[in-house]
Formats: sequence, C-alpha cells, structure tokens
Amino acid sequence: MTKQNRTTTTLLRGTLALGLLGVIGAYLKASPERFWANWILWFVLLFTVALGALFIVALEHLVNAKWSVPIRRIPERIATLLIPVVPVGLIALGALPVLYPGTRPEALHNKILAGKAFWLGIPFFSARTVVSLALVLVGLLVLVRGSFRQDQTKDPAFNFRARKFAPAFMAIFALVITLVAFDWVSGLTPEWYSDIFGVYLFAGAFLGGLAVTSLSVLHLKDQGRLEGVRKDHLYNLGGFLFAFTVFWSYIGFAQYMLMWYANLPDEVIYFQTRLTGGWHTVTFALAFFHFVMPFFALVTRDAKGDGSRLRRVALLILAAHILDIYWLIFPILPGGPHLSWPELSFALLFLSGALLWIRGAMEKGEDMPVGDPFLKEGLEFRL
Amino acid sequence: MSSGKSFAVLGLFDSADALVTAIPKVREKQLGGLEAYTPYPIHGIDEALGLRRSPLGGMVLVMGVLGAITALGFQYWISAIDYPIVTGGKAPWSWEAFVPIMFEVTVLFATFTAGLGMLLLLNKLPFFGHPVLSSESIKAITRDRFALAIEAEGEGFDAAAAQAALAAASATGIEVLPEPDRGPFLTSDYILRVAGGIFTACVVAGLLMYAAVKLFPVLPPMSHMEDQPRLNAQKADSFFKDGFGMRMPVPGTVARGYLPIGVSSQEEAASLVNPLPRTPEVLAMGRKVFHNRCELCHGALADGVPTLTAAYGGKPANLQAQQFRDYPDGKIFWAITMGKNAMPSHAADLTVTQRWAVVHYVRALQRAQNAKDEDLNQAGAR
Repeated sequence: MTKQNRTTTTLLRGTLALGLLGVIGAYLKASPERFWANWILWFVLLFTVALGALFIVALEHLVNAKWSVPIRRIPERIATLLIPVVPVGLIALGALPVLYPGTRPEALHNKILAGKAFWLGIPFFSARTVVSLALVLVGLLVLVRGSFRQDQTKDPAFNFRARKFAPAFMAIFALVITLVAFDWVSGLTPEWYSDIFGVYLFAGAFLGGLAVTSLSVLHLKDQGRLEGVRKDHLYNLGGFLFAFTVFWSYIGFAQYMLMWYANLPDEVIYFQTRLTGGWHTVTFALAFFHFVMPFFALVTRDAKGDGSRLRRVALLILAAHILDIYWLIFPILPGGPHLSWPELSFALLFLSGALLWIRGAMEKGEDMPVGDPFLKEGLEFRL
Repeated sequence: MSSGKSFAVLGLFDSADALVTAIPKVREKQLGGLEAYTPYPIHGIDEALGLRRSPLGGMVLVMGVLGAITALGFQYWISAIDYPIVTGGKAPWSWEAFVPIMFEVTVLFATFTAGLGMLLLLNKLPFFGHPVLSSESIKAITRDRFALAIEAEGEGFDAAAAQAALAAASATGIEVLPEPDRGPFLTSDYILRVAGGIFTACVVAGLLMYAAVKLFPVLPPMSHMEDQPRLNAQKADSFFKDGFGMRMPVPGTVARGYLPIGVSSQEEAASLVNPLPRTPEVLAMGRKVFHNRCELCHGALADGVPTLTAAYGGKPANLQAQQFRDYPDGKIFWAITMGKNAMPSHAADLTVTQRWAVVHYVRALQRAQNAKDEDLNQAGAR
C-alpha cells in the first residue's frame, strides 16, 4: 500500500469518526422522525447500489456476456457491500413504529390501512426484510465467492453453475428490489401506491451500481491495475449509463403523467407534496441532474468511451441517485427539504464507511477473474 | 451506360497483414478516399484507413431535437392558441400531456433521418449495382483476398497514379472500376406502376373490409360512442325505480337562475317592470338573442315578415302593429316566457336576463320603424 493510500485511509477513518459523532448527536438531539428518515435513506441507497452491482454480475452470467469478464471483479467487489448493509437494514427496523403509518395502532381506524394491517404490520414487515437480506446473501455467496474461488481452482465448472443460477437470481432480484421499493420507500405513504414503483427503483439501483463500477474501474485503471481494459470496455459502461438514464426518466415520467392526468386525490397527493414549496426546486433539480445533464454529456459516440468524461458523469449520476432517494423519502417530514448537520453527519458516516469498505474490497483476490476461461475473449473485445 | 469516368482503382492483397501494412504507403500519396473490402472484419482498419467520422450522428441529433420542437410547438398552437379547450380539467397549456407525442415525433424524425440519410445522402442511392460487385476481384474478395480501393473524389482523379501507387504497395490484380450506371430512376412507366400498385392495394383492402363487415355483422368496427354509461334525455332507464331517465326537480326547490316570475296570466304580467337598464351592452345582448331566436319568424325588423314561411301555415305577429307597440314590457316578457298561440315557450332556452334584454331590443326596433320628424333635429344637433 502506497503512502498516499495510507493517508486517504486515515482521512476516511477521521471523517467516519466525525460522522459517527454527528449521528449519535442526531439520535440524542434531533427528532426521531428525522433520525430514522436519514437512516432509511442511507440503508436504501447502499442496498440499491450493492444490489445493482450484483445485478451487473448476474446479468453477465445470464446472457453469457464476454466483454465484461475483465471488469467483472469490480462489481463483484462492490457487491460485497451487501455484508455491512445487513446490520444497517436490521437496525433500520427500528424506524417501523416511528415512520411507517401502517405499523401504528391507529392505522386500524383507517379503512384502507386496516385492510392491509397484516402486510404492513411489524412482524411480517420484519420477516420480509430478513428474508430479502438472506436471499441476496445467498446470491452473493454463489456468484461472488464462487468467482473468487475460481481464481485458484481455475475450474470452468463455476461458469456453468453461475449460468444456471443467474435466472433464479434474477427472480430473487426482482422480488427483493420490489420489496425494498414497496416496503421501505412507498411504505412511508401506505395510502399511495404505484405499480411501476419497483421498476423505478430498479432503474435507479442499476444506475447506482453502474456508476460506482465505472468510477472504480477508472480509478484502478489510473493505478495501472486493469491492464487490457480499453476504451471499448469503457464505451459499453458509458452506453449502459446512457441507456438507463433514459430508462429511469421514462419510468419516472410515465408514473408521474398517469397520476397527473387521472388527478385522483389519493394518488396525486404524492406529487403535490413534491411540487410545492421547497420540494419544487428539488424535483426539477432531480430531472436536470438525473436526466438532462447525463443525457447530453453522453449522447455522442466519443463521450461514452472517454475516461475523464465518464468519470465526471458517473459521479454526477451517483450524486443524482442519492438525490433521488432523498426525494423519495424526505418529503414525509413536514416543513420542506431538510439539509443540516444531521443529514451531513449521516452522509459523512455512511459515505466514508462505504468508501473504506470498497477500498478494502478492491484489495481482495485478483483484479481480474483470472480463472475464468472467457477472460481472454473478454480482453480481445472490440466494438 | 458508363460515362467513361473511373469510380475507383482496386488492388488485391494476400493477407490481412499485407493489407494493413500497405495502407499507410498508399494513404500518404493522398490520391483519393480509401476503402477496404475484406472477407471478415479486421479490427483497427477504420483508424488505419483514416475514415472520416460519419456525419449521420449529428444529423440525427439535429433532426431529433427538431422533431421534439415541432411536436411541442404544434401541440402548443392547436391546444393553447388555435382551439383552446379544457379537457379532463387540464389547462390548455399542459406540457405534461404533450411529452408522449414529443417523444414519438423525436423518434420518428430521428429514425427517418438515420435510415433515409444513410441510404440517399451518404450511400448516394439509388444506383444499379455497386461497381465493386461487378468487378473481376469480387469472387476473390468474398473468398480469401483482401482488397484496397482508391476511390475518386472530385474531378481531378488520376487513375494511372492510383494504379502505380497500388503496384508500388505490391498489390496484385489491379483494376480500374467505372462509374456505376445511374440510369433514369423516376420514369413515367415506373411512376405508373407504383401508382397502379397502390390503387390496386386500396381497392383490395376496401373490398376485404366490406366483406368482413358483411360476414361478421355482430362485430361493429367501433361502438364506444353508442354505448355510453349515462342517462339519455327522453329515454327510459332502469336505474330509477319509475323507469324514467329524466328526473323531475326535487319538490320545493328552484334551480339557480330560474326563479318563478310571480304572475299567473298575461294580464297580471302587465305590472312587471323591465329590471335591466337600457345600455348599449343590454341592447347588444338583446340583438344577439333576437337574431338567434326571434328573427326567423318575426323578421329582422320585427314586422312579422318572416324568412321561413313557405312551408309554414302560421302567421307570426307583426310586432310593429299598434297593438304591440302599446303592450307594456311585462306582456311581451310573458309571451316569450310562456309562449303564445303557435309560438313555443322560450323559458328553457333563454335566461330571465336574456328575455328582458330582448324586450328592450324589440322596443328599440319599434322606435326605429316609427321615427318622428323631430328625431332629425335631434340627430342634427349632435
């Protein structure tokens, strides 16, 4: 480890400690609603990014893609972030009585919520979360640990196993991301529902995973560690980012437009809160930073393969994904957008924690899946 | 036939390596555009040939943006300017509703530009057969040889120099390809056949449609307008117990703007006073109502000479007669409200205000048709 790396690690540990102090302060001083809204924000964010990375790995096995074999180790390492997400998710269950109206006793007086009492109630809600976390850990075990082991064994049997497991994992992934969306995010406003909501969060999760993957690939390339990864591989990452910003906007706008048109009070209230007061600005900022800017930044052919531009766009998309989750969760707090020391402390704690974890993970195993028989074909990939 | 000009000079190489090493040697002489023809794709040959970036991407972007602007502008014009109409409780200018169509038109413009731009502008179609396809070398190219072509760009193409350059790069089987035959494309015969084909297709489709409707009469093409879940006027409906679609007002209530006039005969109505002031606005309203409702029978001058009596036996009242000029306002109002002789009641069609306004207007017509001499003095004094 170089001297510069050690300095960065020390710095990150410092910000982690600072963030932890702030979070403890928020627990003692800030209102419980605000504390738990922050907690859920970071739980959902880290969960979607890690799950998005695991989705990239599974997608490669599912469609038998060759181009992504040389960079597959990067999303595999990022997906290990699911391990620290498990305790974060279990702690997040503490938010249920505070933030989720469906878990409160007065919900039984509400006709709509009383009908869903079993689904929204704490026991079944917690059970779903535990099962979801367990299911994705199984996916991590099969896809990522198997791949790391192949570095030594060089056994192509792993490829067959992963290809067989990938379709099953896709079903698990669809279920888990939908549960995260419906339970943790739209469960905050249980009288409002949208069928497409799971797909909306999936688009954000895939983008988040892709953005972190692209940033890590570019970072390791700068250190000269991913030899053989060329512009052609970057182009595909850029193409995916470009395509899915459009997909995200398509889903987001389709959801909005149908509700805007129908104008039913129980549906349109969701967007009413997000289009009045301070949230109006946040909504338009989200549309600009999550769609307009990345779209025009990546629209040309050269842009998608250009490392320095890709790095900036990936950073932008990651920030926009954070803003997206913030926009989904925070309007339940009254009084416009909140951004003060509790939010910043949470950001410090979880961002430094996640960065430390990913930096550690980047030293695990080989930089490329050297045991994969398709590695050579992947390195020879040309557009 | 061929115009005698050369399209390109083409030479063959035995291997992909030989082709790639030869390209820089030929390229530095700058005799024309380079193009390679190979049995399989060779990575990196685009850069070696120095192919210019296709302008298609930029064209597609421009046309896509133009499509979005066109769709937005057109929808804005029709729904907010030319015919503003409130649909579904939305304001005429509701950009959210325009987005799907903007999306579609963007895609339409972009794909048409990509397809037609590639074929017509960049590939310069139509022409009958690419020269390379009719060359001597084509069999070798599709089997195991690698061809390099120097294509003519503009008038000053030196075929001899190109042949020499290829020979210097140790190419074999060098040949000069003539310009492709761009025969006349839109001949009258061709247009006639296309138009005839379209006409035949339309006739056949129409006959098939007719047969389908005749054969399957239970499947009307579209009946949504007929089957509406609402109560129709004058129709029976099973929704209410008494089976009537139309309902009586709730007993003891009065609809807004339909207060009872408070008198029960035309004689009693004589006591009613016109509540409206005699202002230009009121007279304009009265004239409009008179044009729409009264003029057809009573005539434009209210003199009982109608425009529509050829097939009608009734005799409309001449409102210019002394009898009606002496009528109090209230009795005219009563006649409009309750109807008189063959004239039906207009109470359902005209509001109370409109009825009083038309009374004012009738008074103005009567005065205008019976002008006095001293009116001239008054007009002169102005």
